[in-house]
Amino acid sequence: MTAAEAPARSRPGRLPFRVPGRLLGLELRRNAIVWVLPLLAVLLWLTSTTKVNVGPWNLRGIRLHQAMLGLAPFAAGIAAWMGSREDRRGTTDLMAVAVLSRWTARLVTWAATICWVEAAYLVYAGVVYGVTARQSAWAGSFWWPVAVGAAAAAAACALGFAAGAFIPGRFAAALAAAGLFLAIAAGMFASQHGYGLLSPERPGALNTGIFYPYLPDLAIAQVIFLAGLAAAALGALGLPTATGGPPLRRTAAVVTAAGLLAAGTGAALAGTARLEVNGVVIPALHDAASDRPVPYTPVCSHSVVPICVHPAYQAYLPAVTTALAPVLSQVAGLPDAPVRAIQAPTPASLGNGNTISPAGSPVSGHPPVLRLHLFGAGISTAEFISLVRLQAATAIVDSVTGGGPAGHGNGAQQAVAAALLKAGGVLLAGPGLRVPGPAPGTPAYAAAERFAALPAAARHAWLAAHQAALRAGHMTLAELP
Amino acid sequence: MRPVAAVQDPDPGRNAVNVKMTSLTRRFGRSYAVAGVSLATGPGVFGLLGPNGAGKTSLLRMMATVISPTSGTLRLLGRDPGSRRQRTQIRRRLGYLPQNLGYYPGFTVAEFVEYFALLKDMPPARIRGAVAAAVEQVGLENSARSKLRTLSGGMLRRAGIAQAIVNQPELLLLDEPTAGLDPEQRVAFRGLLRDFGQRATVIVSTHLVEDVGAACSEVALMDCGRLVFHGTPGQLAGRGQGHAAGGEPLERGYSAVLARARA
Repeated sequence: MTAAEAPARSRPGRLPFRVPGRLLGLELRRNAIVWVLPLLAVLLWLTSTTKVNVGPWNLRGIRLHQAMLGLAPFAAGIAAWMGSREDRRGTTDLMAVAVLSRWTARLVTWAATICWVEAAYLVYAGVVYGVTARQSAWAGSFWWPVAVGAAAAAAACALGFAAGAFIPGRFAAALAAAGLFLAIAAGMFASQHGYGLLSPERPGALNTGIFYPYLPDLAIAQVIFLAGLAAAALGALGLPTATGGPPLRRTAAVVTAAGLLAAGTGAALAGTARLEVNGVVIPALHDAASDRPVPYTPVCSHSVVPICVHPAYQAYLPAVTTALAPVLSQVAGLPDAPVRAIQAPTPASLGNGNTISPAGSPVSGHPPVLRLHLFGAGISTAEFISLVRLQAATAIVDSVTGGGPAGHGNGAQQAVAAALLKAGGVLLAGPGLRVPGPAPGTPAYAAAERFAALPAAARHAWLAAHQAALRAGHMTLAELP
Repeated sequence: MRPVAAVQDPDPGRNAVNVKMTSLTRRFGRSYAVAGVSLATGPGVFGLLGPNGAGKTSLLRMMATVISPTSGTLRLLGRDPGSRRQRTQIRRRLGYLPQNLGYYPGFTVAEFVEYFALLKDMPPARIRGAVAAAVEQVGLENSARSKLRTLSGGMLRRAGIAQAIVNQPELLLLDEPTAGLDPEQRVAFRGLLRDFGQRATVIVSTHLVEDVGAACSEVALMDCGRLVFHGTPGQLAGRGQGHAAGGEPLERGYSAVLARARA
């Protein structure tokens, strides 16, 4: 019998995915990423480390988003390295004579790479959330940041792999990593209300999942966009003639088109986004039930004036108490002084969480209540205390004196306010995070120094007796003790 | 140009034509790497000789279905490599060792061979045994678990041969298979070639005429993309009678044929 007459070799009882499955096993064992996993661990640590040891769920969710700035370029780089492997290693001819389509073989190599990247990312997310679970009460379904991160890792790997396959070379990995880093960095500076929101580094908002149910609108749009990018890049791998027969290339074309459609849909959805107090709302994806605040029982300090925070921020209570209790004790019991400080939903912002909202925290209501806005991601405890004082201390003394320590109010009001702040441990003027106050050498400064030097009881008694006149602006510096 | 008939074997069963090409041409830009080669051969070891740049590798790559001919017809194992379905059937029965063997340094010898066995779509149940057999045939059984980056050039070449033979190919194409092998390995390899030639068509591209003399039942000589000789090693040696250049009869024949072709 000649070879030409020989029957096709029998392939009995084979599962369709058995060969790719075994290939995947080989690729997993010998993937280049195994050698650089320690580098990835360092990268994740560097992009997510904070000087604050505690953090509520929303801030930790933001951390997962921000970790993409390091993880995604890394994943793209390593995927590009693997994608360019055939050309770098000169196995193109051997791959060309394979029975298994080149697209399938490449998808298997990509799958092995993404398995490692996803595993590393999920371990990282597990550690971050594990630590958070020990520090803060569960405050909502924070799985969406994990899903966005996983989709971003898949998209980064797919884009990097395609770049490596189509533009092979020694510099493919570096170029892919740098390109993706620049793309994400550009997204950070893009509009907060448009397509810039699609960057996986963008979290939804601070309040989401704390005062309101977790608002997944933006995360859903991001996942659709990123999954679409991944599909488009992987589909494109199968488009060249050499990667497979016409049926396979048709499938690749469909996958590419579907991916582009999904990415376009994600971008279009993000284009309709608007910022609300509970996060980024995308009308087509929005569930109105997410707009209703979540009832909670605040956790309060045992200070003279109770300071209360959301249970998710319980770990911050000691620092908030340290920041505000001394100032609150200066005015406790006086008319119009806050009888309580409570944490309020943070003004909506898509910033990185380190900035204080210009909205401030007014003292309002009857009886008066101080409303606090807490941020706190990425700063030390000392910096956090300074920020809280900067935000709230002036409002506290203003409520009693009727004028602040600098600028507004007459000289007596400024002097008393400055004295109360100084007695409460707040640093006035000078460099760093300090509340502005009267300039040294001025009569108001001297009066403030004099008033602050009085015993606490004497200050309090004087204020109780003269507060009405002081608030009305009828007192002069000379009338201060 | 009429196809050159395969050298007849006394055993009629071995006279099947597994490789048949007619006026096969491959052009890269304006230059012809292969210029109208016609050839037919059946089971046995076929030596493809020629100086550097003669077109041996391009011819082999066409037979390996890596590149397609610019013109002419090619049939491999009775099938048309231009047809996608038949090309897949050919590849399932093909073993190929490229001139520049690429490899993944982090793979072990066994993994490297297994990887290409899987790409050849071998039944998974057969792969473990086939890999072990192939590795043993090339004498790398003691290095099966060694990473490729730790192997010498000769051992790498043998690993490349192992991946080529792992699927027991009916058509085995080897481009410079003995490059880097030491004399002992070369002798063993020629034995392996003869063994394979009993049941498959083995085409060996080489510029070492002693390989041809020791292992090949047929030989063709290429120069400037053209086939300038096709016959048995004995016939090639016969062409060298009276020719001064070369030490061994085959070498003299090789030189004489080339000299006449270029005259």
